[in-house]
Amino acid sequence: MFAMKYPALLALYLLSACDALPRDPADTSARIAERKFFTVGLFEAGLAQDREVKALIALLEQRTGARASWQAGSGEALLQQLDAGRLDLALGRFRQKSPWKGEVAFGPPLRLAGTGDDPVELKAAMRNGENRWIMTVESASRSVAKGADKP
Amino acid sequence: MSDNSLPRELERTMARAIRLEYWNIFWTITIIATMGLVLGQSETMKTAWIEDSLGLVPPVMFLIAAHMERRLSRSERFPFGFERVNGLGFFVAAVALTAVGALLLWNALMALWAAEHATVGSVLLFGQEIWLGWLMLAAQLYSLVPPMIIGRRELPLAETLNDKLLHTDALMNKANWLTGAAGLAGVIGLGLGWWWADSLAAAIISIDVLNDGIKALRSSTAELVDGAPRALSSADLSQDAQQVGEKLLQQFPGATVRLRETGRLIRAEVHDTHAPQLCRHPRHYWPGDDDRAWRLAQVSFIPPTKGQNQKGRG
Repeated sequence: MFAMKYPALLALYLLSACDALPRDPADTSARIAERKFFTVGLFEAGLAQDREVKALIALLEQRTGARASWQAGSGEALLQQLDAGRLDLALGRFRQKSPWKGEVAFGPPLRLAGTGDDPVELKAAMRNGENRWIMTVESASRSVAKGADKP
Repeated sequence: MSDNSLPRELERTMARAIRLEYWNIFWTITIIATMGLVLGQSETMKTAWIEDSLGLVPPVMFLIAAHMERRLSRSERFPFGFERVNGLGFFVAAVALTAVGALLLWNALMALWAAEHATVGSVLLFGQEIWLGWLMLAAQLYSLVPPMIIGRRELPLAETLNDKLLHTDALMNKANWLTGAAGLAGVIGLGLGWWWADSLAAAIISIDVLNDGIKALRSSTAELVDGAPRALSSADLSQDAQQVGEKLLQQFPGATVRLRETGRLIRAEVHDTHAPQLCRHPRHYWPGDDDRAWRLAQVSFIPPTKGQNQKGRG
């Protein structure tokens, strides 16, 4: 019984802290809220005009109250910037079995292309471990994918 | 002693232990499935999940050993029956625990060294977006309950059967709340933005697995190399066996008594003395309660070699 008491108390404490978790180890969400901008990189310049990409950025700007700041770069350099914390978001077409899976956190696909076992997905990539920011982007990506927030 | 390797007195207790181990496997599978559904990238969750999966090894080995002990008869090829299968199962479980514990510890330390930040995002559940960490915590809490109940029930059975495999399993299950608490702390720490909490909790869990494995390995290898019988829960010498040795020395002064353990049974060799004229069942030499006398399965006498003085004729 003694051993059972602690998990129960812990559960009660956690229920009272539902909204507080998760937090970002590098405070990405807090920084965006404070500085009112987040940095975005595109894998292909043409993606800036993509309907889903525009919808995602608009929704993120609306939900965070910050504006997107576009950063130049391409390919692996962008993912390295993400990994180093110099970029908040990278958007591009990635294979489902991307070798970067695990190195960065991918959001849900905004749009699928291709067929077979390894389709290409248009999706956002974030820095690993920034779980509050990742949840924000995931939520916005799901909304865009459903089409509810298309402009 | 029956024709199979299991003493008749233990048949009912063994049947209860077997039923309990089937329940143990069932509940462990539900835990593995629950944890597996919410693993994510968390090092803590992966380690806890592997630890839970390893929890299947002792009951499975116990059931295999129990089946062979109960069902298979002595034969020309196996004249001593299968009483040592339990010891072999114990050894296999110990090797598995030690190896995986060491591997998990290495992974956790590497993750800590590389400052890996585990991603735990959100999932859609019944149309609601929820942080996967909450589901991880729920799975961790669930994984605490069945082992604690089963561990408490296993313990008295393991003591009656003098079964080290079952006893190790019981202690592992009873102590599972410690690793569960480490797992909960790891996920909560991750949620609080402490990236290191995840790998640290994984390291703590793996140290516990490794510790269980090393203790079991010491005890199981002692049996396999005919070491003196060991206690159920540690590598210390068994008190039962020490009392047997003392009683034999009292009856055969000057003799050398060697004891070993085959599974749950003790076998004694009394060296440098002649066998007593009155033929007695080994249980006659059991120093404790009669209901535990089945433990002493053999007392053999080895007379002194030619030229040595005759000693301690009983």
